[in-house]
Amino acid sequence: MADTAILLPGEEVLSESLPKSKKGTLTLGPGLRHIPPSTILSTTSGTLHVDHKKAALWIEHAHGRYLPAVGDLVIAQIHHSSAEAYACSLTPNTPFALLGQLAFEGANKKTRPQLKAGDLVYARIVKASKWEDTEIECYNSSTGKAEGMGPLSGGMAFDVSPAFARRLMMGTDKNGKQKGEVVVLEEVGEKVRFEVAVGRNGKVWVDSGSVKETVVIGRLLKEADESGLDVEAQRKAIKKALKEVGK
Amino acid sequence: MPREADPSNNEREFVLSALRENVRLDGRAFDQFRDVDLAFGEEYGAADVRIGKTRVMVKISAEVVTPYADRKFDGIFTISTELSPIASPAFEVGRQDQTEILLSRLLEKTIRRSGALDTESLCIIAGQKCFHIRADVHVLDYDGNIADASCLALVAALMHFRRPDVEVHGEDVTVFGLREREPIKLQMQHQPFCITTSYFDGGEVMLHDASLLEEQCREGEVIISINRFGEVCQISKYGGPPIDGLSILTCTNMALEKAKMLDKVVKAKLEEDEKKRDKGGLMAELRADNEREQG
Repeated sequence: MADTAILLPGEEVLSESLPKSKKGTLTLGPGLRHIPPSTILSTTSGTLHVDHKKAALWIEHAHGRYLPAVGDLVIAQIHHSSAEAYACSLTPNTPFALLGQLAFEGANKKTRPQLKAGDLVYARIVKASKWEDTEIECYNSSTGKAEGMGPLSGGMAFDVSPAFARRLMMGTDKNGKQKGEVVVLEEVGEKVRFEVAVGRNGKVWVDSGSVKETVVIGRLLKEADESGLDVEAQRKAIKKALKEVGK
Repeated sequence: MPREADPSNNEREFVLSALRENVRLDGRAFDQFRDVDLAFGEEYGAADVRIGKTRVMVKISAEVVTPYADRKFDGIFTISTELSPIASPAFEVGRQDQTEILLSRLLEKTIRRSGALDTESLCIIAGQKCFHIRADVHVLDYDGNIADASCLALVAALMHFRRPDVEVHGEDVTVFGLREREPIKLQMQHQPFCITTSYFDGGEVMLHDASLLEEQCREGEVIISINRFGEVCQISKYGGPPIDGLSILTCTNMALEKAKMLDKVVKAKLEEDEKKRDKGGLMAELRADNEREQG
C-alpha cells in the first residue's frame, strides 16, 4: 500500500495517480464520482486505492454501514420464512434479503434445510439493486456446489466494522503477507484449531469448540478493529491472550 | 414500530454457555463494571457518563416560577428522559416505548421520591416564587445498562449544578447572574445510585453492568437503588422468573459495594473539576490588571 493518498470529500483525484488503461476507460469504485469532462472527485474521506491491472480506483474508508453488492459473502440471520424464500437480515433495521428455500447445495422440495428464525447462514449476494429486494444464495447456482456456504451451527458471531471485515477478506499478496494487515486469524490459527467465516456485512463467525478460545479470538478481532492495532501490536496482543488460555 | 434487532440463536446460545463456564464475552468478572468515565461540561450542571459504549448526557437548568398551589413551600424538580434515534435505530422520536417509560419512572422513584434533592431549599417566596429545577436526560449511545448510566449522570449533574443567587426585599426578588454573585450548590440529602443485576438460569448466574447482548439474553433483572450508606431507595423487578429472598439480599449487598465505587468516581471527578474552575474566587477572576511577568 505504498501508493495511497488520503482524500477528503470534494477533493480532486490528481491525474498523475490515475491508472493508465489500454482501452481508455476507468472503473470508479465506492467514494468517487466523475464530473464530466475529466474531473474525478472524492465524495467521502478515506485512502485512495488504485488497481493498475484493472484500471480501477476506489476509496477505502472506515465509516458507513454495509451496502450489499453482487458477489459479496455475507453472514445473514434468518428473520422469518415464507413459502418461497427465507427473509434474512444482513444488517439490523434495513430491508430483508431473500434466500430461496431451495438455494442450498443438493436441496429439493423434499430435502431442504429447515431453518428457524434467528439461525445464521453463510451466503453470497446474487442480486443487489436499489429498487428491488436483495437476493442471496447458499450455493453456486451454476455449479450446484456449496463452496463453503450454508447454515452455520454453533459458534459465535462477532460484530466488527464493515471496513475491518473487508480487510480480513483481502487475502495475501505474492510474498504471503496479509494485504489487509490483519494477522489475528493466521497467528491464532497456529496454536488453536477453529473454524471461521467472515461476512462482508461486518460479522465474523468463529467456532473453536471451546468457549474460552472462541471468546479470546472474538476479543482479539474486536480489539484490532476498534483500537486500530498495527501488525506488531496485534502480535503482542495475541501472545498475551493465548497465554491466558494456556496455549 | 422498530425494535432492537434480536441476536441470532448462535449468539444467544454461546452467551449462555459461556456464562455457565464463568466467562463473559468481554473478559470481565461477573460483578465487574465496564470502564466508567465521567466528564463535566463547560457550564454548571452538564454531566457526560460513559460506561463502555453506553453514553448518557444530563443537563440541569433552573428558572423562577410560581410553585404549585398545594405545595407552597416547595420548589419544583422535574426529570425528562428522552430516548432518540441517536442512541439506537430502535428508538423513535415522539413515541415513548417501554424502555423509556420504565427508565423515567425508575429515575423518578430513585431521585425524586427518595428526596435526594431538598425541594424546600428551592423556595424563594412561599406561594409566589420558587426555582424549577429541570433535568434533561439524553441517551446518546446504547449498549446496555442505561439505567445505571442515566442515574449516575443525573446524580453527578445535580451535584455539579449551581443555581443563581437570589435576594429578597419584601415582595421583590432579584436574581443575580452567574458573574454577579457566586452561584449556589443544590442541597442534596443523599446520592442514590441504580445498580442493575441481570440474572440467568433462574438466578444461578448474576451479572452487573450487562452489555446489550447480555441484556437481550437475560431472563430478568433486579434494579436496586441504594446510596453509599446502604439505604435502599427502591427495588424494581419487571417480570421474569421469581427469585428468592436470599438472592435479593446478595444483590443488595453487591449493589452497596458498586454504589460506593460509583460514589467515589463522582466525588473524585467533582473535585478535579472544582480545581480546574478555581481561579482564586470571583474577585481574582474579575480583576482588570493583567498577570505581571515575574522577574
